[in-house]
Parts: sequence; C-alpha cells; structure tokens
Amino acid sequence: MIKKIVYGLCLVFLAALFLSPQVYLYLIPKLSDFSSVLLNENTLKAITNTLFVSLTVAACCLLIGLPLAWLLTRTNLPYKSFFRSGFCLPYAIPPFVGAIGWIILANPTSGVLNQWLGLHLNIYSYAGLIWVETSFLFTFVLLTALTVLDQMDSSLEEAARLSGANGLRVFIDIALPLLKPAILSGFLLSFLATAASFGVPALIGGPARIYLMTTQIYTYQRMGTANGLQMSIAVSVILGIATLVLLYGTQLFFSSSKNYTVGGKTSRPSLVPLNGWKKPVTVFLSILLFIIFILPLCGVLLSALSAVQGSWTLSGLTLDNFDRVVFETEETARALRQSLFLGLGSALICTAFAFIFNYFIYRTKWFGRTFASVIASMPFSTPGTVLALAFILSFSRGFFGIGPSLYNTLFLILLAYIVKYMSLSIKTVGDGYQQIHPSLEEAARISGADWWTIMKTIYLPLLKTALIASMFLVFMPVISELTMTILLTGPGLETIGTLIFSLQEYSDMSGGGASVLSIIVVMFILILNFSLKFLSKGRYGL
Amino acid sequence: MSKVVFEKVGKKYLSTWAVKDIDLTIENGEFVSFLGPSGCGKTTTLRMIAGLEENSHGKIYFDSDVVSDPLIKSFMLPEKRNVGMVFQSYAVWPHMNVFDNIAYPLKLKKLKKEQIKADVEKMMSIVELSGLELRKSSELSGGQQQRVALARGLVMKPRILLLDEPLSNLDAKLREKMRKDIRKIQQDLKLTMVYVTHDQKEAFQMSDKVVVMNQGRIEQIGAPADIQKSPISEFVADFIRSGE
Ligand SMILES: Nc1ncnc2c1ncn2[C@@H]1O[C@H](COP(=O)(O)OP(=O)(O)OP(=O)(O)O)[C@@H](O)[C@H]1O
Ligand SMILES: [Mg+2]
Repeated sequence: MIKKIVYGLCLVFLAALFLSPQVYLYLIPKLSDFSSVLLNENTLKAITNTLFVSLTVAACCLLIGLPLAWLLTRTNLPYKSFFRSGFCLPYAIPPFVGAIGWIILANPTSGVLNQWLGLHLNIYSYAGLIWVETSFLFTFVLLTALTVLDQMDSSLEEAARLSGANGLRVFIDIALPLLKPAILSGFLLSFLATAASFGVPALIGGPARIYLMTTQIYTYQRMGTANGLQMSIAVSVILGIATLVLLYGTQLFFSSSKNYTVGGKTSRPSLVPLNGWKKPVTVFLSILLFIIFILPLCGVLLSALSAVQGSWTLSGLTLDNFDRVVFETEETARALRQSLFLGLGSALICTAFAFIFNYFIYRTKWFGRTFASVIASMPFSTPGTVLALAFILSFSRGFFGIGPSLYNTLFLILLAYIVKYMSLSIKTVGDGYQQIHPSLEEAARISGADWWTIMKTIYLPLLKTALIASMFLVFMPVISELTMTILLTGPGLETIGTLIFSLQEYSDMSGGGASVLSIIVVMFILILNFSLKFLSKGRYGL
Repeated sequence: MSKVVFEKVGKKYLSTWAVKDIDLTIENGEFVSFLGPSGCGKTTTLRMIAGLEENSHGKIYFDSDVVSDPLIKSFMLPEKRNVGMVFQSYAVWPHMNVFDNIAYPLKLKKLKKEQIKADVEKMMSIVELSGLELRKSSELSGGQQQRVALARGLVMKPRILLLDEPLSNLDAKLREKMRKDIRKIQQDLKLTMVYVTHDQKEAFQMSDKVVVMNQGRIEQIGAPADIQKSPISEFVADFIRSGE
C-alpha cells in the first residue's frame, strides 16, 4: 500500500516538474509567431548558424574521437591510461572555462600566442567557435566509442586478424560496423550539445557577432519587452522540438534496423603493434592533448597570475588577483555559498529520488513505469536555455497561478537543476539496481521485512557506491552551471558560473577575476573527479 | 600444412608465469589435444601459436622458420601466419550473413568472385550448412554458429587449425556429433589440428596425441592409450581417474 502511494507521488512529481513546464512552453506560441521568427533576419541567421556550427562540430568530433578511441583500446600505444584519462577529462570541465582560456590565448588584439609567437589568430570567428566547442565535445564521441570497444568481445576482431586482416582493416571491417550505433549517438550528442551550448557561443560568438539560437534567445529575453519575450519563446520552441525530434526520431528509426549486442566475456584483446608509427603517434597525441586541454588552462592560469591583463610576461606574476577576488569581493563568497548549496541540494534530492524511483522501474511491473523513466530523463537532453525559459514561464506567477512566485529565488534554480540532471542519477543508480539479484530482496521478504525495511537494510547498503557516485556526478556539473542559471538568476542570486560570466563579460575585464574563479572551479572539479575515481576503485569518474 | 615446434617457450605476466618451459612438437597432419584443469595455460599456449599472444621466453617455429623469438625481437603477426582458429564464443560476425562470414578470409586474399563462391559452397557442404548462405548470423543456433566458425577457419586452407573448447557451449548430444564431425573432417582433409579441452573423454576419444598440462607446465605427452596405461605422475593419474 505504502509502496503504491510512494509510486503515485513519484509520478505526480514527474508530471508537475518534468513534463508540464515544457508542455506549457510548447503550447504558447501561435503559428504566426513562427512565421515572424522565420521572416526575421536575425533569428533566421541564428538558426542557420546553429545548424552549420553544430554539424561542423559534430563532424570534427567524430574525426578526433574515433581514431583516438581506436588508438586507446586496440594498439600498443604507450602511456595508454594516462592518455585515456587526459583525453576524457575535458568532459568534466565547464566549456566556458575553455572559452576564457582561448580568448586569453588567441584574441586578435592581445592574445598570448599572437604576442609571443607572432601569430595572427582570431578566436572571435567561426573557426574559433568551432574549435573551442570541438575541443570539449569530442569527449562525447570518445566516451561512447570507448564504452563499446571495451565491452566488445575481442575474439570477433581476433578472428578477423587470423583471417589475414591487418589492424586497420580489422577496425574498418569489424569494429566500425559494430560501432555504428555508438558513432551515430556520439555524433547526435555532440551535435545537440553544440546547439544547446550557451557559454562558448556567448563569450566567443558575441564579440564576433555570431549568434546561435541559445544566445539569440538570451538576447531577446534580456530585452524585457513583450515582443522580445514572444520571440525568445518561439525560438526556444523551435530549438526544443527540433531536439526532441532528432533524439527520439533517430532512436525509433535506427533501433529497428541494426543494433547488435556485441558484448561478450571480456577476454584479453591482442594489441595492434604501431611499430615505426609508435613514436610519431605518441608525440602527436601529446601535442594534441597539450593543445586541447593544457594550453587553455595555462592561459587562464597566466591571466589569473598577471597584474596587468593584455601585455603578457612571465616576470612579475602575483597572487594579487586571488586576494582581491576571493577575499575582497563580497559577491564571490555569496556565489561560492550559493553554488555549494545548490550543488549539495540537487545532488541529494536527485539521488534520493532516483533511489526510490528506480525501485519501481527495476523491481515492479507497474503501469506507466517505462514512460515515467523516459519523462525523467528527457530534460537532460532538452537545451538548458529552453528548460530555463519553461521554468520562468511556469513559475513566475506561482506554479501555474498557485502559490507564491518563485521567480528570482534560489529555489527555482534548485528545481531547474534537479530536473535537468535527474537523468544522471537515474542512470547511475539504475545500473546499480540491475546488478543486484532479485533473490536478495525475496530472501529478506521471506524473513518478514516490509518494503521500507527492505529499502533501508538491503538496497541502501548494497547501492552505497552507486548512490555516492550519483551525488558526485550531479554535483560536478551543477557547481559551475551557466546556461540555465544565467536566465534564472536575479539580483543577489550569483552562482560561480554566473559570476565568472559577468566578470568576464562586463565588470572585471582588466583584472583577471574570471580567470581566478575558473582556476578554482577547475581544481575543485578535478579533485572531485579523482576522489570519485579513487573511492569507487575506477568504476566511476574519468 | 606444417609442423609446429616449441622450444623452452614461456609466458610471464608481470611476476607470474602463465606457462613455462614448454617443449613440444606438433607433427604435420596430427590431431593434438591440450588437456588440463582450468588455469593451467592451455589457452595461452594456443594463442601463442596463433600469434595473438607473444611468448616472453623461448622460440616457436613453423617448420624450420622462426615465427617468434623475443631474444632477437622477431615476431610474425597473426594475420601473416595463415592459422585458423575456432573460438569458444564462436566469434561469428553479427553484421555479416553466413556466406560473408565464411568468405571473409578469401576476400582478403583477393581471390576471384567465382573462386570464392565455389570454395565457400564446398566448405559449407562439408560442415553441413548448405542452404543457409543468406541467413543472418543472429538467426543461427549455437551449433550452427559453431559450424560457421569452423568453416571460416577451414576455408582459408590454414597450415594449422586451432580450437579452444569449441564444444563447451553445446548440449551433450550435439557435442557428441560435433566431435565425430570434426575428427572426420580433420582426417579427410589431412589437417593439423590443436584442440583445447578440459574434458579427458573428449581428448582421448579424438586425438592422435594428448598433452596433459598442469600449472603452466607440461606433465605428460603421448598417445591416448599410452597415457591411460601408464600415467607419468600422481597428477595425471588423478586427472584421468576423476573423469571416469
Ligand atoms: N592477461 C593476463 N594477466 C595475468 N595473468 C594471466 C593473463 N592471462 C592469463 N593469465 C594467467 O595465466 C594462466 C593460464 O591461463 P589460461 O587462460 O591459458 O588457462 P586455461 O588453461 O585456458 O584455463 P581455462 O580452462 O579456464 O580456459 C592463468 O593462471 C591465468 O590467470
Ligand atoms: Mg582457456
């Protein structure tokens, strides 16, 4: 009985927070709004820009991610686990930090690389935007491909080698076809992530006057006029619906045709010797890793330590910026406090909900559970900008008119985070449930335990690692979230993400304040990541 | 076909020996079984013949050619060895149909289309799969997948065919039939085969020569009758007795 009530409450929670705000948003615009979007030069340009940039980024991600995945799993490349960790790490770093780094390195007036090496790089360009997005989003392709390659029964490839195929041929004839679903989803994920990104196009596209749909929505929304709001809603709906169609449409289309289960017992893969290529490939990968990951962070660090921004020298580095930003700016303390609160709050609530909710998914056959789990995961792929707008509209006059307005409160930001990142918890804890044999619960039940006791004494201890991992995995992106927060924030509601953004964009151009906070965030996230990896003995974390 | 010679071959992982001091000759046209308890090094030895594993010590010859000698850093890649292998998990490629699976080694040899077709059909009739050419591999039974794997290993006319517990996933009746079929094919085509099993009945029933292994070393080599009549050690005697 109590089980049924709890299940009902879960469904109500999902319907209220995960479904209705988005549905509400999608029902607002009239057809005429769409035609005015498509007739408007700016919005039309934003749409074509989004398509062009996202497609190019997704293609570049495949180009980098796939060969890397092959080198890291199938060859005798040296320092493999180091490279693997290094190339996966950008996944955990907020991309806007990379954007800040590249602006320092390659802005046309005072870029470090331009000054020191006499180059003429201009990050404020299509190429710059595409490069910075790619340097983070290739991890989507890499991670999906690595997962499949790690699980693939290696005898499939060994059989091909014994048939006379060399290493590359084996990859093309055997691994690549079996990777097809992973390639497709990696491509789609990086495409959608580019289209949904805000920080990078705002920081880099803004000065270059290259607007994507997300930055265009933000601009309209900030105008504060009725017409601006109308336009931002219409563009959001187009972006949101297009995402849904792409994501679920391709799944329907491809799930029927070619999906193989290629997992098998993991035997020892025999590695392809790189022979004479070993040295050049190692050198090349080191350089690539340096450029993608280390170099922009070095840029940020240099700027954080420089008293004068713009004329870069290694002499006279100082900690003054840290002193000023961390100890003498009251916004910083507030932002840190609020980000921590939001991070802990959403990590706890997401994990607790996933713990209960997944029980119904994996341990009952109750009506509506599959649909409910789709609803719970959907907001994760909804562009943050769209989700935030839906929350503003649904909550600004009470929840659809009921209760007090949550607009301009920390609570609304918390709700938005929970909805957006719930999917991470559900997936992590769900995998945990799948590894627990149902007989463990049955044994407890026979011993006379009721449901709540079973949850407490059987599942809670057995799922401990998964629950802890789930908290880390929600906490890490939340601590530096920008895309949604920038729309939901108000006076006094700074978070680390919005503070870095506003320091970079408006208030602290000459002081390196954004760089200081970026360094702190990156260190914090890296520490969290490695503690998670250590605590879970390598099962979670990058 | 050719003979395979192991000279003081060993394989060391970090600090543990998977196999050590293996001296062994597999004659042309022989059916040799590796027999022993789990973890004794059968698979490792087999994979060193295929080149899927590099021995860390000793030398391996095909006839008089060295194919692996870590001292002089000489190692022939698996794709160059012309060795066929049937895996325990079958390793039938799920994205190719039956015909394409079996034809794959021949396509890599760049044979003519007609030649490939003729060879594949002939091999399919030998393993009793005729008529299933266009079947998707995912729609095959375990026994049929096993036969596809066998045909794919045979069609390339390998110098030696390696089988790693090929029948362990089949039911008892099918296993009995496959044993007979494999032995018959070996004798008809005069093939050299190495067969890994931990089932002593299987080894003694099928082989010309049985290699009994224990903890990474060879305990005894001999014809089935000799080993059964005069086991060389307590271990071998126990191992034979436990199967009866
Ligand atoms: N990659 C590896 N790293 C460390 N030790 C290994 C590795 N591969 C195999 N071993 C060890 O080498 C020994 C021999 O393994 P092998 O797989 O050859 O045994 P086997 O006789 O085939 O056993 P089974 O009958 O269970 O298949 C085992 O003790 C195993 O633990
Ligand atoms: Mg084995």
